[in-house]
Amino acid sequence: MLDRRVKVKDVRDLGAANYLLTLSSPEQARLAHPGQFLMVKCCEDVDENPLLRRPFSIFAVRHHGRTANPIGLEILVKDVGIGTHKLVQARPGQELCTLGPQGHPFQVPKEMGGEVRFACLVAGGVGIAALYLLARELLAVGVAPVLFYGARGAPELVLRDYFERLGIRIYYATEDGSLGERGLVTVPLARFLKEHGRKGLKMYACGPWAMMRASHALAHEYSVPCDVSLEARMGCSLGACMGCVVQAAGDSTQARFIRVCMEGPVMNSRMIDWEHPPL
Amino acid sequence: MKKIASVMPEKSGKQPKMEVNIGGVRFKNPVLTASGTFAYGIEFAHLMDLNAIGGIVVKGISMKPIEGNPPPRIYETSSGMLNAIGWQNIGATEFVSKKLPALQKYHINIIVNVVGFSLEDYLEVTRFLNDFPGIAALELNISCPNVKHGGFHFNKDPRDTYKVTAKTKKASPNIPLWVKLSPNVTDIREFARACEDAGADAISAINTLVGMAIDVEKRRPRLHFVTGGLSGPAIKPVALRMVWQAASEVKIPVIGMGGIANCEDALEFLIAGARAVQVGTANFYNPAASQQIALGLEEYCRSRGIKDINSIVGSLQV
Repeated sequence: MLDRRVKVKDVRDLGAANYLLTLSSPEQARLAHPGQFLMVKCCEDVDENPLLRRPFSIFAVRHHGRTANPIGLEILVKDVGIGTHKLVQARPGQELCTLGPQGHPFQVPKEMGGEVRFACLVAGGVGIAALYLLARELLAVGVAPVLFYGARGAPELVLRDYFERLGIRIYYATEDGSLGERGLVTVPLARFLKEHGRKGLKMYACGPWAMMRASHALAHEYSVPCDVSLEARMGCSLGACMGCVVQAAGDSTQARFIRVCMEGPVMNSRMIDWEHPPL
Repeated sequence: MKKIASVMPEKSGKQPKMEVNIGGVRFKNPVLTASGTFAYGIEFAHLMDLNAIGGIVVKGISMKPIEGNPPPRIYETSSGMLNAIGWQNIGATEFVSKKLPALQKYHINIIVNVVGFSLEDYLEVTRFLNDFPGIAALELNISCPNVKHGGFHFNKDPRDTYKVTAKTKKASPNIPLWVKLSPNVTDIREFARACEDAGADAISAINTLVGMAIDVEKRRPRLHFVTGGLSGPAIKPVALRMVWQAASEVKIPVIGMGGIANCEDALEFLIAGARAVQVGTANFYNPAASQQIALGLEEYCRSRGIKDINSIVGSLQV
């Protein structure tokens, strides 16, 4: 984890208040693992409001040309509040203080290819941002990712072209039916589990609490191990302030409240008390 | 922000004396980090040079571990934030076995903030910690607004503050005792006096102000605990006034805090009468803030020909 002042390379409008920010940061890019996040100050001056940095999943690593040389990071920013509103107005060349890559990443051991046929990636809205690097890493160890991507409507299904280019199987679901199946993303997920379930599956989920809770329930029903990537309002992101906690499952050996920044953001879904959302 | 090396840059003038003495304990410089904002210090070790500051006040410790409040525990407000953490900590036994040894590798004073729900709680943890070397002071947290019983109740009446201070002082023969005061009182001078009369070695001020925020869509408080402690630059004017009042009232040292984000803020507190300062919320958005402030104070003295930082303390002309 490095504390660095980095230059904004690009801010791309993806529609529906979503933006892809590219940051020039070779040192941090070199350290990034799937599932990790970056804490980003939303304005140039460190003492300017809003004070606290915001956490964003590292969506992708940019490389120099066609080389394997990492030079930058990409984050998905949705304009939802005073911090993100400022951040999406950043200009190329502007500098921002960032801290990262941080957090407990997704574990993708090489042996997985021999044990797991399908990895179900379940994404809701901006949760998609946590899953791209994971999808690539899974492919590299010989596991077939299957993406289940849901949102309110088609405009919110951002960055799907990245996943489509991977050539993986994708099931879309929208609440208004504008793309894919009408309804919640857990419906095609349940169908897939029913068809392929019980052995050789792994699940990864990132999205609204209710979506992850439902995914966890399905994983439990079909005995599929499930890792989730959580989000939380963060203070320090260093494990110091104890602000970003979620309630741990009752039978957990952990403390009653565990930190999204340190014990997470990636956690086994069994560690969490899904009846007590943190927000 | 680049990690600043502890090697001193080329000096333009003579090296000013940055050492301060708080109740018999020498600090290499007057900059400390505040309880609850710096965990046990080690978490920041790769982002700044821990040896560059005078001391760390670790997260409040109770005898038995405390779970803390359910989330949401924090909410950002303009120029600050609200917190209602609820004293989540690993307990004294785990602290002395797991955290204290690692922290003692650094050349830095370790102050342990102590918390409790009753007088007996404070005495128990105080007695326990008195058996361990390497703790420069205990900071009695009787001013936290985020727990239902305890803390807050000793800060409603100066007589209760006197009582808890006197008894805890007696239970702490080996370690100096600081008392951390609440700003949520009518007149902080009464409480400062009560601490001095009861034998406290120093006072730290202020803890957080009580505040709240509301989600207008859900029509619910932003914090699970409903109210929380406000910290950050928003509280600096109040903190500064109270530190000035407390320092004007007592002879024992006052350690000032409340919204200190840069060197100039720290200077205001020293001039108002603080012998040292604690940096808190600033650590969240600028992890090396305390180190920058320590270096800044030294540069301030050097560039103005100030030979000793202590000459600034209480130099306010009213």
